[in-house]
Amino acid sequence: MKGKKNRYEWMIALRFLIKGKGQTLLIVLGIAVGVAVQFFLASLIGGLQISLIGNTVGSSPHIRILPADRIAKALSSSKTPSDSGRVLYDERTEIYSWQQYVHDLKKDPRILHAAPAANGSGFIERGVSLIPVFVKGLSDADGLAIYKIKDKIVAGIPELVSDSALLGKSIADRLTLAIGDKFYLRNDRGDQVFLRVGGIFDLGAAAGNELVVMSMDRVRSFFTIEGVSVIEVQVADVFRAEKIAREYGRRYERVKIESWQEKNRELLTALRSQSSSSITIQFFVIISISLGIASVLAIAAVQKQRQLGILKAMGTTNRSASKIFVIQGFLLGSAGSLLGMAFGLLLAYGFISGTEVTFGLEINARTLLTPIILALLASVIASTIPARRAAKLSPIEVIRNG
Amino acid sequence: MADVILKTSKLNKTYFGKVDTPVLFDLDLQILRGSFTALIGPSGSGKSTLLNCLGLLDPQTSGEIDFDGRLISAQNVNDLAGFRNAHIGFIFQFHYLLPEYTAYENILLPCWIRGGRPAPETGREALRIMEHIGIEKLKNKYIAELSGGQQQRVSIARALINRPKLIFADEPTGNLDRESGHAVLDLMAELNRENNVTMVMVTHDRDVALRADYIYELVDGRICKFLDVKKMGKTATAAAIESRTCLIEEP
Ligand SMILES: Nc1ncnc2c1ncn2[C@@H]1O[C@H](COP(=O)(O)OP(=O)(O)OP(=O)(O)O)[C@@H](O)[C@H]1O
Ligand SMILES: [Mg+2]
Repeated sequence: MKGKKNRYEWMIALRFLIKGKGQTLLIVLGIAVGVAVQFFLASLIGGLQISLIGNTVGSSPHIRILPADRIAKALSSSKTPSDSGRVLYDERTEIYSWQQYVHDLKKDPRILHAAPAANGSGFIERGVSLIPVFVKGLSDADGLAIYKIKDKIVAGIPELVSDSALLGKSIADRLTLAIGDKFYLRNDRGDQVFLRVGGIFDLGAAAGNELVVMSMDRVRSFFTIEGVSVIEVQVADVFRAEKIAREYGRRYERVKIESWQEKNRELLTALRSQSSSSITIQFFVIISISLGIASVLAIAAVQKQRQLGILKAMGTTNRSASKIFVIQGFLLGSAGSLLGMAFGLLLAYGFISGTEVTFGLEINARTLLTPIILALLASVIASTIPARRAAKLSPIEVIRNG
Repeated sequence: MADVILKTSKLNKTYFGKVDTPVLFDLDLQILRGSFTALIGPSGSGKSTLLNCLGLLDPQTSGEIDFDGRLISAQNVNDLAGFRNAHIGFIFQFHYLLPEYTAYENILLPCWIRGGRPAPETGREALRIMEHIGIEKLKNKYIAELSGGQQQRVSIARALINRPKLIFADEPTGNLDRESGHAVLDLMAELNRENNVTMVMVTHDRDVALRADYIYELVDGRICKFLDVKKMGKTATAAAIESRTCLIEEP
């Protein structure tokens, strides 16, 4: 009797399910809908959040290191050598020892890019138009990489050459400037410089498209900035920006450090409450699936009393009788999840192709597997109720009562 | 010395409930290997109760059953599931077949329970039995599509498939008309003779009982008569069954 593993419980469970077509179909559909809803909801919200965060911080600095006087904070009198080992200046309105900061930041493996930038505001004059612009001087490859200028360029070449500038799309549109066109840039003291349009970029966000990007040294001399205005940092994991910023805040005492999270509290709060409401919905979907499975299987257990009694008279143990129901739960859960996944993907596909959305669905191992695992767990746990009943049934009850 | 396959000593059975119902009282009986034993008695005398205890479906309240060397005292029915599967076949008044399966599949269920998917030889054996009892044409029919007599034959085939030591039958013809009842009985008698299977059968029918080797009569949970049909002859046995006084002949 021992030796090869006996799996007849699977055979019986499967037969019971196949012969109870209507019930089986109903519950599989129920699970499938639950799984599909969960999957779709999670992918949708995940996709939405990723796109929101991408729009917010995808092509902008995650951490900004600013001169200290932008906040009302007394300068510490002791010159502690904590900032990059030695301190040359108090960073009051500009950051003078930016090279040390950048050098130090670049050693951190969590940081993708760290680059100085010089900011200024001025006007562009062309013909009779005069419009205010924000001028950003970026240093090198890192500076361009933070704003993803290379990806966002729509015309021209993403290079910082001394007599040319890269324009945001809305400025170019408003002034009908094209590649190679010339214009005057003025600063607030009335100095002006003659520039060529070297490239046009589209950062997506409105504010970004009002930028004029030039080489940092050009901006520094034009606006007479001795140091730099800001050091911009992009990190690998956007959600760790705040933590990293705080870490550097403790080390760098002479500058102010801010992360994107501090500037986007409301967005983050909204995202968090969105996530928690989606978890709440998922939780109740799971509860209703479990109740459905439990009740259908409980009914099945009552309906199959006679069969179970006969099987037990023929030698089925209590354990095997329970197993028959747990296996049924597992099979229902599996079939339901697979079907649900198909529904969910179909729904997702229909959603992506049918509506004009500016964001994709986030379909990954987590959004795919979580509903499947939850539905399977729920099915198996729910099936323990009829399983226990099946174990308790004594064959004689069935035999005696016909 | 007779070859005893099943023996009880001081077997008692009480149903416990709101009121406790004692049904069997200190029963001592013996079933000989290869014999056909009939169990008769008035309704409510405890025949089914006794059969279910002997078949290890219902634990006795006290006393012992010696099942071919295995001593069974009042214990968990579940512990005996494997033993039942291997050594005992049941045929009841109602067919107790599974409607989810065909006749052929029902016959093979005890094999599945015993060791998983049955070997091809087992399948052939099932077909051979079906042929032998004249139901080979019903192989792929579901239970609901069979007549009562056909269902009972499927039950018989199922009881035989694991080659049990003992087959217990509780009024197997109780639900059948005279003709199919006789056919089923002929079949069981034949199987008993040919395969030397030990059979214990509860019956209300005097003629059926007279076909047995031995008869136990139960009255109010006690053995009232033990009759050795061959030794006494059919006429004397028939007369003894009719008589109101209890007579015990030691086997
Ligand atoms: N589950 C039970 N609970 C209480 N009493 C029971 C139970 N089952 C049977 N009895 C009682 O035990 C007695 C014997 O019942 P049993 O079914 O063994 O009789 P029987 O000889 O098979 O009768 P019949 O010929 O009508 O089938 C009856 O009085 C019956 O009422
Ligand atoms: Mg009875």
